[in-house]
Amino acid sequence: MSDTSAKGRLGALALVAPLVLFLAIFFAWPLVSMLKEAVSDPVGSRAFPLTAAVAGDWDRQSDPPQELQQAFIDDLRAIDDQQLLGDAVRRLNSAQNGFRTLMGRTMRAVEEQPQGPIDLVEVDKRWADARFWRAVADSTNPYTDRYLLAALDYERDASGRIEALPAEASANTAILLRTLGIGAVVTIACALIGLPYAMLAVSVEGWKRQLLLGAVLLPLWTSLLVRTAAWFILLQEQGLINDTLMSLGLISRPLPLIFNRLGVVIAMTHVLLPFMVLPIYSVLLSIPRNLMPAAASLGAPPWRAFLRVLLPLSLRGVVSGSLLVFMTAIGYYITPALIGGAQDQMISSVIAFYAIGSANWGMAGALGAILLVATLALYAVYGRLSADRAGGR
Amino acid sequence: MRAANLVKLLFGVLAVVFLVAPLVAILPLAFTSSVFLTYPIPGYSMRWFNELANANVWRMSIINSLIIGTGTTLLAGTLGTLAALGLRNAGLILPGLFRTAFLLPMVVPAVVLGVGMQVFFVHLGLANSYAGVIAAHSVVAVPFVVVSVTASLAGIDRRVERAAASLGAAPFTVFRRVTLPLALPGILSGAVFAFATSLDEVVLTLFVAGPNQRTLARQMFSSIRENISPAIAAAAFLFIIGTLLIAAVALLVRRRTERLKQQVVEV
Amino acid sequence: MSQSNIRFEKVSKSYGTLRVVDDLDLTIDQGEFLSLLGPSGSGKTTILMMLAGFEAPSGGTISLGSRRIDQLPPHKRNMGVVFQNYALFPHMSVAANVAFPLEMRGTPRSEIDSKVARALDMVQLGTMKDRRPSQLSGGQQQRVALARALVFEPSVVLMDEPLGALDKQLREQMQLDIRALHKRLGLTIVFVTHDQSEALTMSDRIAVFNRGKIEQIGTPREIYDQPRSRFVAQFIGETNLVEGTLAEAGDTGATVKLEGGGTIRVQPSDMAMDAGRILVSVRPERIRLGPDAASENSYPATVTDAVYHGDHLRIQLDNGAFGFVAKADRRTAEFNPGDKVVVSFAPSDCWMLPT
Repeated sequence: MSDTSAKGRLGALALVAPLVLFLAIFFAWPLVSMLKEAVSDPVGSRAFPLTAAVAGDWDRQSDPPQELQQAFIDDLRAIDDQQLLGDAVRRLNSAQNGFRTLMGRTMRAVEEQPQGPIDLVEVDKRWADARFWRAVADSTNPYTDRYLLAALDYERDASGRIEALPAEASANTAILLRTLGIGAVVTIACALIGLPYAMLAVSVEGWKRQLLLGAVLLPLWTSLLVRTAAWFILLQEQGLINDTLMSLGLISRPLPLIFNRLGVVIAMTHVLLPFMVLPIYSVLLSIPRNLMPAAASLGAPPWRAFLRVLLPLSLRGVVSGSLLVFMTAIGYYITPALIGGAQDQMISSVIAFYAIGSANWGMAGALGAILLVATLALYAVYGRLSADRAGGR
Repeated sequence: MRAANLVKLLFGVLAVVFLVAPLVAILPLAFTSSVFLTYPIPGYSMRWFNELANANVWRMSIINSLIIGTGTTLLAGTLGTLAALGLRNAGLILPGLFRTAFLLPMVVPAVVLGVGMQVFFVHLGLANSYAGVIAAHSVVAVPFVVVSVTASLAGIDRRVERAAASLGAAPFTVFRRVTLPLALPGILSGAVFAFATSLDEVVLTLFVAGPNQRTLARQMFSSIRENISPAIAAAAFLFIIGTLLIAAVALLVRRRTERLKQQVVEV
Repeated sequence: MSQSNIRFEKVSKSYGTLRVVDDLDLTIDQGEFLSLLGPSGSGKTTILMMLAGFEAPSGGTISLGSRRIDQLPPHKRNMGVVFQNYALFPHMSVAANVAFPLEMRGTPRSEIDSKVARALDMVQLGTMKDRRPSQLSGGQQQRVALARALVFEPSVVLMDEPLGALDKQLREQMQLDIRALHKRLGLTIVFVTHDQSEALTMSDRIAVFNRGKIEQIGTPREIYDQPRSRFVAQFIGETNLVEGTLAEAGDTGATVKLEGGGTIRVQPSDMAMDAGRILVSVRPERIRLGPDAASENSYPATVTDAVYHGDHLRIQLDNGAFGFVAKADRRTAEFNPGDKVVVSFAPSDCWMLPT
């Protein structure tokens, strides 16, 4: 009932509240935890709480002050969680090589003298080097931008300036570019097939149109996994395509169709084509059927009527379809993982590798944040476009 | 003119073949007697369906898919239906915001959501549990329920509900006797969508499920990756036949609803 | 139930800053057929919806007899409502639709069946009881809606443009049917329509609405012959309005001095008139063409246009000072543009109202 009273308002809220709560816990919160992983660096601050408290007073340029050194020694004396200590050493070593041996030696010295001040430079002269102290002080900051920087192939140098990683270490930009490239190629392929396909579907009637629409809807309804498996079977070395071409004598050796870029593009185009055809089809359907005859009556030959009337009007559908396809394509995981080779993995595969393969949550989170932001931006544009269409008529 | 028609015909046939052929090509391989997923098929047998039914990994994965799919259908179906009813209420504040929020899980890349869930579910103690997988699947299934139920509710003439109230039906009776039966096709198709989404879900399962919650889709995924066998074709066969059946049922339901609603459109 | 008239007292309804119903006072007598007539957006449907309980008034009270009902939910008001587009339950058979209100009232099954049968017979649909609404024609659906609204014997029936979707012939048949039911069952009917001829033929009284207020309420005859505002005069039927100043008024009539010279004798009015400008309304079908010495109001005029309408001729006239539209019986004479004629009308056909 359309009830705008206070009671009705409360009732409406009560109805949406369970889903809001559910999505807040199981959708929004996980995304927030992922984003937090991308910027959090909790080990140092948990392992060295006293150091963390005084690290902010040091300007990072002069010699490390006595309080800092003493706080660090006290922290080392207080630590009894061996796993935490191990994590902290690993964290320090990743910022500055040499910490593994340095910390081993320092811990022994601390254990030998459980009270009073220790001259650390005497224990190991590397402690005279400010870079090591800087690493300790920096590690106590619970937040970091290094994963986000690393995701874009940047890092902070010893003095804290942002600089590009050396070319041989910069894999992520290449993967981001590859992701965008594959997304673009798939989008273009979908548009090149989808636009004429939708036009054809609109131009015919009866069973022909039903057939064309059914051919789009059937794959859409079919499991993504099944479709990918089907392409696996078709594209493999002894697959149907190679067999057919060989038996026709068109090729003498099997074409490399699987575990490469071509296979990924073919399979993804097949998977995403419906998302291109359906928006264009619905736009074309809304175009009055007498526009083309009208253009003809005004003296336009068919091809000019097409270019000046039908194409501009269908462009809206092409744009929404393209956004939809591109947005979905850049987040794809299953198809490249199964059909592609090592050189065809997209950003999702890399995220999955960091998360599942090497438990590097920071990097997984940082790359995930980039993909999330890109997808949401594309979705916002898409939403704006379809809102315009709904309101603009 | 004739050449143009020929081009159209050729393009249409090629495009339809491109779209449908892969799905058709995989079907016969489900019945191969060979251990290879290749043509020509040396002989026909049911051995791969037996494998699905009897091999432990496959049987367990099918049972898991049914458990998790049912759980997802119930959870997403209930939450989504309630939310769609709330969205329909004119008294709801910021309806656009809620609507967008409910659709977002469809948009966010599965891997991103998966990473977040993996991190978060460990904290929550839901990692490697059925409840965790069902919750994860429900997140991505619920937009389909909301869309489907919203569409069917939009098709109900509000005057019909007012008529029921004017004839003496209390609000809950109006809901039970009028709104619910008229929205039922949308709720059912939303439930089917939710089940299908759960059945097909791989990525989130990869992140949040333990070895005990391995679903059919997850099993197919690793089987294609590691030791490809015609059991995949047999599983795919079941999926495709299931899809066709569901599509047929959905078509029937839609025909029926359209007949019911015809009256509203005509007058 | 001796005195169960419906009373609106100081009722208003606003949506945000938009005032749809403005300070309405209205009493509907028991057994009366009242039409709410007005253009779309005039508030008439809102009033019906407030009476049915689907909208809550922003202020004021509504009562039925001695009982205040504006706080009562719709399902407890016990009024039959016939909706625009009928609002039949598409998932129930015709019989189930009609049985619905009886079920809601806990009527025993055996009684339900006989009452449903009687209600369907009343609207001549006894043979259709097992059909679905979608299998019926528009007129049949309308009659099911009527049977459903009447089967539980409400004393008040509300109708929201119930005939709007029917074609002309069917509409006229249904008008007669509803009118007959009203008489036979002694119902109070509140009938919303924007069709003035429907309101004129069916109602005991008509309330003409404009911008959330009642412009005039009265019998069809009063509304048509004695409109009390320019809006009512122009909204009901067609009329000629001539501006002038009141020269003299008495018990037997009044004289109005016209803008462009000359005077018109008009019938007396109970409305208080300003000394300043007033309007005179003359219905086109009351204008006589041709010399008529007996009439006090007669003027020379020129025919500027004459259009054939089948049952009458529609003639556009100009006398230099003002223009007229007249409807002439097509048997009287031929008229062509340029013809000189004399127009005349009886003072009893002239009605004055404030500008």
